[in-house]
Amino acid sequence: MIPEVKSYFSSIDWILLLIVFTIPTIGISVLYSASYDPDTEHKFFLWTLNSGLVLRQLTYCFAGIFVMFVTAAFPAKAAFRLSYYLYVFVLLLLVAVLVYGTISNGSRRWLSLGPVNLQPSELMKIGVILALARYLSKTPPKHGVYGLTELFVPCCIFGIPMLVIMRQPDLGTALAVGAIGAAMVLFVGVRKWVLIGTSAIGVAGVAAAWNWFLHSYQKRRVLTLFDPESDPHGSGYQIIQSKIAVGSGELFGKGYLEGSQTRLEFIPERTTDFIFCVLAEEWGFIGSVLVISLYFLLFFRILQGVMRVKDYFSALVGVGVVALLFFHTFVNLGMVVGFLPVVGLPLPLFSYGGSSMLTTFFALGLVLAVTAQRSVFSSR
Amino acid sequence: MYSAYDKIPVPIPPRAFSMLFFIALAFFLLAARLWYLQALRGASFAEQSKNNRQKTVFVPPARGIIRDRNGVPLAKNRPAFNIQMFLHETPDVEQSVERLSSVLDIPVAELNDRLKRQGGPRFRARILVRDANREQIEKVLANRWFLPGISVANYPIRYYEFGSLAAHVLGHIREISKHDLEQPEFKAYYQPGDLIGKYGLELQWERYLQGRRGLNSFVVNAHSVKIRDLPDQVSAIPGNTLELTIDHDVQAASDAALEGEWGAIVAMDPRDGEIIALSSAPAFDPNVFTGELSAAEWRGMVSGKEKVLNNRAVQEVYPPGSVFKMFLGAAGLEEGLITPNSTEFCPGYHKVGNATFRCHKRNGHGRVNLDQALTVSCDVYFYILGQRLGIDRIHEYATRFGFGKPTGLDLIHETPGLIPSTAWKKKRFAGTEQARWFPGETPSVAIGQGATTTTPLQIAVALSTMVNGGKVFRPYLVRAIYSHDGKKKIEERKPEIRSELGVKEEALLAVRRGLEDVVNSPQGTARRARLPEEWGIRVGGKTGTSQVVALSIQTSKREHQHHALFAGYAPAENPEIVVVAVVEHGKSGGLAAAPAVRKVMEAYFHKTRGLPLPEPEGQKEVPRVAAPAPSPASSPVAPLIQEPQIGEVATQ
Repeated sequence: MIPEVKSYFSSIDWILLLIVFTIPTIGISVLYSASYDPDTEHKFFLWTLNSGLVLRQLTYCFAGIFVMFVTAAFPAKAAFRLSYYLYVFVLLLLVAVLVYGTISNGSRRWLSLGPVNLQPSELMKIGVILALARYLSKTPPKHGVYGLTELFVPCCIFGIPMLVIMRQPDLGTALAVGAIGAAMVLFVGVRKWVLIGTSAIGVAGVAAAWNWFLHSYQKRRVLTLFDPESDPHGSGYQIIQSKIAVGSGELFGKGYLEGSQTRLEFIPERTTDFIFCVLAEEWGFIGSVLVISLYFLLFFRILQGVMRVKDYFSALVGVGVVALLFFHTFVNLGMVVGFLPVVGLPLPLFSYGGSSMLTTFFALGLVLAVTAQRSVFSSR
Repeated sequence: MYSAYDKIPVPIPPRAFSMLFFIALAFFLLAARLWYLQALRGASFAEQSKNNRQKTVFVPPARGIIRDRNGVPLAKNRPAFNIQMFLHETPDVEQSVERLSSVLDIPVAELNDRLKRQGGPRFRARILVRDANREQIEKVLANRWFLPGISVANYPIRYYEFGSLAAHVLGHIREISKHDLEQPEFKAYYQPGDLIGKYGLELQWERYLQGRRGLNSFVVNAHSVKIRDLPDQVSAIPGNTLELTIDHDVQAASDAALEGEWGAIVAMDPRDGEIIALSSAPAFDPNVFTGELSAAEWRGMVSGKEKVLNNRAVQEVYPPGSVFKMFLGAAGLEEGLITPNSTEFCPGYHKVGNATFRCHKRNGHGRVNLDQALTVSCDVYFYILGQRLGIDRIHEYATRFGFGKPTGLDLIHETPGLIPSTAWKKKRFAGTEQARWFPGETPSVAIGQGATTTTPLQIAVALSTMVNGGKVFRPYLVRAIYSHDGKKKIEERKPEIRSELGVKEEALLAVRRGLEDVVNSPQGTARRARLPEEWGIRVGGKTGTSQVVALSIQTSKREHQHHALFAGYAPAENPEIVVVAVVEHGKSGGLAAAPAVRKVMEAYFHKTRGLPLPEPEGQKEVPRVAAPAPSPASSPVAPLIQEPQIGEVATQ
């Protein structure tokens, strides 16, 4: 017993964990500021929070860390074996959501299972990573890189859940799944002309969609990105207010708990999707770049682990997780600083929310598991 | 088992390195963007963030109060609640409107219409329901989570405590129209949703009543919820207080006297031109204009035969009928064409050329002097006098009494009326055969018919001139303007004599003797105008009955009945009040108009001298009989004089 535990802890990448713990620590302090109401609360007195937001986020965080350590205890081969089952199971859940799911904010995303609300699309991100990692590692390209026909099955693996999630509808998550799949396939390699061809078809598809399929309100949402001032109170509102919040932080920020933009509720989703605004406003350029650097370090460290692993499945799982977290981070920050459209994706480890927190820690647990240089992997 | 799993077909590190490079590039872009926003443009965004949370709104001033001569507030302000919408807080305007429509049971189109009428910046409240009632407020508050962007706000509203009392004098206010807002004179002072005087004194004195709006600067959150005030505030200054010459009690009696009728009453002080009461019936309740008035309701008000929004006392003209005779009498005396004792013979008709003009008494009054002619309202006497004066002298004297031109009352929409003359006819019918005056047209004018038209107010001014020794006063309604706290008198109106009549005092007194007999003589046509005997106040006056349609086509239909007029004054010796009443289709001046005048006078003397009001009559139709015992002079049964009918023009 003792040696196993010892080997488990010695195999954990503690540097990665240090980065991983730092981000939500900053995140919770920013969340406290974002939900802080000077009229009803005393500064720095956490327990009087009437919203309970911070306490709940702390709970999610610890639950996530627990999930991460448990996941990390499993050997990579367990993940390998379970991958398809997990994938099929989650896919079934996704279909079930379409039929039985709870509607909130106009879309069906949640499955109500007694006291627990399950969001299968979150789990699907992991399911796609594992299933695709298994398939790609079992079916390497015959000629060094994948040809068109070889891509059919991998594309189905992430394409089918994408379509189902799109039906909910949840564009952000569907795009995330697509990004994960694309990153993993590209990691292995794709024939050049296939790449060029798909890009061309993609551009043509977008052009066609713009001209014939998109509703005017959807077009407007994209157009306001380039010119938010054209509709300062409609779809451009969030973009403008978010930019003002970020910009008004200037170099050193307005100070902790002093951000007027977020304090006065100009930023609607300031505890979730737009939480970075609060950081940028109160801590300025210095704080923002510090947090961005932490995310970069996180990806750097995971990829460093990926370079060390000896098996392809592990590498692909690591790449998938990086793709998952990077896509969320980049789309979220891009939206906050106003160069990507407003797509509802949370900032991993930072935004308030249990689902995102648990999924992220689960994914990080997988990374810990596959990068752990334990005897059980090296001697198959 | 894990052969494929273990096999490394492509080198991992270079690919991982490429991925890292891609990520680094993306993060570099993010950092560059942050540098641009926070370092390069940070100061500008910091300024915007300040503007974002500092809002300045106009504080509507309380509208000035309008009160009567004794300080009774006729128009004041009361707290009210509006149901309003903030566009920038409404994610889906259409949806919120639809929901509000179903909650309050107001058609969507109606709400959208109200929304459309109010333009301007988005952070300005759009008023959807003005002066909402308690039930509506409760419904909105109960459903507020279901109605994003819709709220309830306190807003003082104009309130006319006495409803339709003096409605045509006070006028009304309404939401400013989009068209008005675009006018340069309004642009600077008003914003959509503001109420503005649209009629009556509310319109005339808008500048004084509106007050000056204040500025409230404060910190808001994104929902425009005020967090705290900023130090620099400009408080609103309420509008000025108008003090009217109107007396609430007399006005109430005047309004009541016209209840159920169409017509007008003007009560005026002949000594200075103050208007004590001014009624027009049917009246409206000005309160309805400050709330929500649908387009259909509005159309119902402005169109239709009733012409509710028409101030019949100053906007409407009537042939003065026999009331006009007294002015002719004064002119005849002044010109020396008659003396108080000279007589004419009335055979019941008068011939001019081929035309025969009938007296209302078919078999004639016999020989009558001026006094008798006025008392019984003999038409023939005045046909003859009119002919001797000639149309242009009639015109001149009528004009001196103030007819044919606005009286200069401080209320808009005054109509000039018309006194015919040769010059008028020449101009009016220029180029036609009708362009000259025919002698046969004069008799009609002499008895206040034909083309002669006057407003009730003009008659009041003219009679005042008759009884005050010949001074033509400019009538007025507003006698002082005070600052809102009543401490400072901003303006004060002094009585203004516009002109002197230029008629000998004896002539005027001679006519007045006749006017007293009209009311007090047993043969008088206006015995119903007498005040209670025990008061000892004698009334003078003249009845008039003006023809609406030619007698040949007259039927018993109401709209064919004559208009009834009476112009009276009291006390006869030293007049304090002149009252003119016009009752449309009231059949005869003595029957319909004289009692109305009496009621107003009763209210006036009750108020000013504390005299006890007489018991209200049981029935309107019962003839008023003089008090039995004290006065032997009064005949036991006052012969009810057959109401004089105006002369019928019959061509032979």
